[in-house]
Amino acid sequence: MVQIRRAYEALFLGLFLFFLLITDLRYLKGWPVSLFLEATPLVAVATALTTHTIYRNLVWGLVIIAITLMLGRVWCNWMCPFGILHHLFGIIGNRRNTKQMIEVNRYRKIYAIKYYILAAMLAMAALWMIPTAIDAPGRIWQVYQGTELRQTGISRVLAAIGTGLAQAAEDHKEGNATLQIGLLDPIALTVRSMTTSVLPTVNKATESVYTEPREYWQAWVVGLLFLGFLFANWWIPRFFCRAICPLGALLGIFSRFALWRIDRDPVRCTDCDLCLKSCEGASDPQADLRKSECFVCLNCIEDCPHDALSFRFLPRKASEVTNPAVGRRELVLAGLFGLAFFPMARLSGGVRKNFSRYVIRPPGSVAEDEFLRRCIKCDQCIRVCPTNVLQPAMFEAGLEGLWTPIMISKMGWCELNCTLCSQVCPTGAIREISIAEKLGIGPFEGKGPIKTGTAFYNHGRCLPWAMDTSCVVCEEVCPVSPKAIFTRNVEVTDRWGATIELKRPYIDPVKCIGCGICEHECPVKDDPAVYVTAIGETRDKNRSLLLSLVDGQGQDWVSI
Amino acid sequence: MSEKLTRTQLKNLERFGGVNPADQPPSRRQFISQLGGYAAAAGVAVGGGILLRDPWGMEGVKPPPPVRLKDYSVSLPPSRPSLVVVRTRPIRAAEYASRDEELRAREDQAFAMIQAALEAMGGVSQFIRKGDVVVLKPNVAFDKNPDLGATTQPDTVAAVTKLCLGAGARKVIVADNPINNPESCFFKTKVGEAAVRAGAELMLPKESYFEELYIGGETITQTWRMFYRPFREATKVIGISPVKDHNLCKATVTLKNWYGLLGNPRNQFHQNIHGIISDFALMMKPTLVIADGRKLLMRNGPTGGSLNDVKPGDTMVVGTDHTAVDSWCVSRLLEKPRHEILYLDKVIERRLGQDWRPQWTQEITV
Repeated sequence: MVQIRRAYEALFLGLFLFFLLITDLRYLKGWPVSLFLEATPLVAVATALTTHTIYRNLVWGLVIIAITLMLGRVWCNWMCPFGILHHLFGIIGNRRNTKQMIEVNRYRKIYAIKYYILAAMLAMAALWMIPTAIDAPGRIWQVYQGTELRQTGISRVLAAIGTGLAQAAEDHKEGNATLQIGLLDPIALTVRSMTTSVLPTVNKATESVYTEPREYWQAWVVGLLFLGFLFANWWIPRFFCRAICPLGALLGIFSRFALWRIDRDPVRCTDCDLCLKSCEGASDPQADLRKSECFVCLNCIEDCPHDALSFRFLPRKASEVTNPAVGRRELVLAGLFGLAFFPMARLSGGVRKNFSRYVIRPPGSVAEDEFLRRCIKCDQCIRVCPTNVLQPAMFEAGLEGLWTPIMISKMGWCELNCTLCSQVCPTGAIREISIAEKLGIGPFEGKGPIKTGTAFYNHGRCLPWAMDTSCVVCEEVCPVSPKAIFTRNVEVTDRWGATIELKRPYIDPVKCIGCGICEHECPVKDDPAVYVTAIGETRDKNRSLLLSLVDGQGQDWVSI
Repeated sequence: MSEKLTRTQLKNLERFGGVNPADQPPSRRQFISQLGGYAAAAGVAVGGGILLRDPWGMEGVKPPPPVRLKDYSVSLPPSRPSLVVVRTRPIRAAEYASRDEELRAREDQAFAMIQAALEAMGGVSQFIRKGDVVVLKPNVAFDKNPDLGATTQPDTVAAVTKLCLGAGARKVIVADNPINNPESCFFKTKVGEAAVRAGAELMLPKESYFEELYIGGETITQTWRMFYRPFREATKVIGISPVKDHNLCKATVTLKNWYGLLGNPRNQFHQNIHGIISDFALMMKPTLVIADGRKLLMRNGPTGGSLNDVKPGDTMVVGTDHTAVDSWCVSRLLEKPRHEILYLDKVIERRLGQDWRPQWTQEITV
C-alpha cells in the first residue's frame, strides 16, 4: 500500500512540476495548467462565499471534497504537491532515532491552530452575511408584498424567503468580503513561491527556465516564507500540514464523515507505539484515531509489528476521535478576529477612495472589489506572463492585495496580442478574454479596447520636451493603430542660438490602452518621462477618465 | 482469531472478555447513521456546489438589471398655460420688526406666488392627488447661506411642501446629492430645516441608495448610477431650482438641477456639459418645475460667494416643461444671450422639449 502511495506522490508532484514548467508561452498549448489550483476545495469553498458562485473549473474541488468525505484526508499525503514536498523534506532532514521519531509524531495541541486560521479566513470571506441578515427581513417582506411572485399561501412565504435572502445577499456581497485563503492555501502558496522565487533562482543557476531572466518585486519575502515552511519539517515533521494549512483544516472537518479509516485492533496491539514512528499526520494511531488529523499515509500499517492496524470500512465509532479537537472559545475568537480585521484592512484606504495609481491590473481583471474577492494570489498569471510586467504587489492595493498581480511597466509591458494571464486564472479575477475583446475589434468594435490605465508625460524629464534632444521612442513602440502617442513638430532655439526642429510627443487618452511599453522603452530609465497610471482603466466606471469612453463601456461587457 | 497470540495479546483479549471488539461487524445502526451522514454531507456539498456552479464564469459579476424612471408628467387641459411667471414686490427688511417676521413674510410670499401660478394652471389638484408621494428636488449643491443665491431658497421648499401636503399628498421627500458634504449642505442652506418644519421627509444620499439607471441618451448612452431610493415610491416629482450663472454651461436652472441626482464619476460630465444636460430632458419627465428667481446669481456661478453677485429678481417661474422654463429664465432673468445656451437648442433639436414661445405662457403679479 505504501508503495502505491509513493507512486501517487511521485505522480502528483511530477504532474504539478510539469504543469508549472509548461506554464509558459512556448509550451502552454492546451494543457490544463491550473488544474491543481482549481482542485483545492478551499478555493471553491472560499470563492463560493465571496462571489456566491463557483467559477468554472473550481468544481474539481467538489471531487476532492467527495473523496475526502469517503476516505479522509487522502489529498494531504497522496495528491497535495506542497504536502508531498513537506514529506520529502522531512525524510531528507531526518536525523532522529526511532524513539525520538515516536515522540515527535505524537499529537500536540498546537495542531489545532490551522482550524483557527481557517475560521478567521472564512469569516473574512463571509462578512456580507451580517448586513444580509440585517436587511433580509425587510427584503423578504417586500418580496412577499410585491408582485414578482405568483405563488400563494405557504409556498409564497417560502418563495419570498428564498428570493428575499438571495436579493439581500446579492446586494451586500460587494465591499463586504475579502479572499485571503490564498495566503496559506498550499497550492496557491506553492505556485506563488515557485513562480516568483524558486524558478527565477533555478534559472539564475541553470538558465534553463526562461529565455530572459525574470525579476519579481520583493519576492524574497515569498521565497523566505516558502523555505521557512520547508525547513520547519526538521523541527516538527509536516509542521505546515499539521499546524498551519487551512486546506488541511477544511478537509479535516469533511473527513469526520469518512467511511474508511485506520483502525487499531485493541487485542493485537501491544502498545509499542511503533506506529507513531512514521505517522505523517500525528493522528494518534496508537490510541483512538484522530480522524481529522490522519493523512491516510498508511505508514502505521506498515510499521506495526503485530498487524494490529488496518484501513477498514466502518470500524467502531468508540475507537475514534471523530471531530477536530478545537476549543470552542478559540474558534469563536478566531472568527471574530476575521470579522473585525477585514474592515480594518479595507477601511485603511487603498481600495476605494485612496486607490493607488500603481495598481494597474492585467487586462480582463474584474473591478477591484470583485478582484479582491476572487484573487487567490497564486500568481499563475505572473508565471505565464511573457514579458515580466506582472509583479506580485506589496501593499499598493492595500493589505488585502498582498501578492496580487500588478503591472510594473519598468519591468515589462503588456503584450498587445496576448491574453495568457486571463486564460490561466483559476478563479476569474482575470476573466477569460479573447484577443478580439482585448483590442476592441470584431464584435467588440462598439465597446472599444480594454484599457488597463493611461500614459502621461513628465515634461521635465522628456528629452524633446526638456532637453532639446530628439527621441520619440515611445511613439515608435506604441502598438495601437492609430497610435495613442502622436507628435507635434516645433522649432526651438537651442542654447547656442541655432534653430532646431523637434518632435514632441503627446498622448491621445482615447486611444491609449495603458500597456506601458512606452514607459518600458523610455530612455530615461530610472523614472521614465512617460509613465502609466491606473486612471482610465475600463474595468471600473469609477476609475474612468473620459466621459466619451466610460459610458457604454463601463462593465457592459456582460451583455456580450 | 485463528493465529497464535502472544502473552500480551492474550491478556488484552481477556480484558475484553474474550471477544475482540474490532472483529465485531458494524451494527446496523452505525451502518445507517454513518452511510446516511456521508450521503447527506456529500449531497449537500456536491449539490450545493453544482447549484452555485458558474460555467460561464461571469455570473458573479453580472450587474442587476438597471432601473428606469417613470414618466411623472401630467397633461394640462389646452385651456391652461403650461408656463406661468409670477412677479411680486420686493420684501424690505426694514418693514418688519424682526428677522423672523421677515422670513415668515418671505415664506408666505413664496407660498402665495406658487399657489397663484398653480391656480392659473388649473389648481394644485391638477398636479397633486390624494395619496401621492412627492419627491422635491432642490438644488443644495453647496454648503452656502441661501442669501448667496447658489442654492434653492428654503422658504420655497417649505412652501411647496405645504402646498403638496395641503393637496393630500401622503408624503413629501426632499432629496439631493450635493457636491459638498450633504449634511453640511442641507444644514447651511437651511433647506433641511425648512423641509422638516414644513412636514417633509429629508433623504440624504447614502451609497446603498444609488442604483444603476437606464438613460439611453446621447451622452449617457447606457446607464449611470443614480440616487434612486426616493423615486422607488414616488408618484410625482417637482424640481425646485435657483436661477444662476454657471462657469461652463452658462446657466443653471431647472434642467441642470437634475445633475444632482446622479452619482460619481459625474465630474466627467464637464467633458460634454451640453450633451449631458440635454440628456436630463430625456431622463426626467417631472410633474412640475419651479425656478425660484427671487434671488438671481448673476456671475461667479455656480458657487457664487458674494452678495455682490446676487441680484433681486422677485420672480417665480413655474411650468410643466423644464426646457421652456429654463429658456425663459436665461434670457429674461439672467440677461444672457439665448444662443449661448447650447443645451437648450440640443433639447429642442432632439424634440425632448419646447421653447417657451410656441407654448402658452402667462405673466401674473401677486
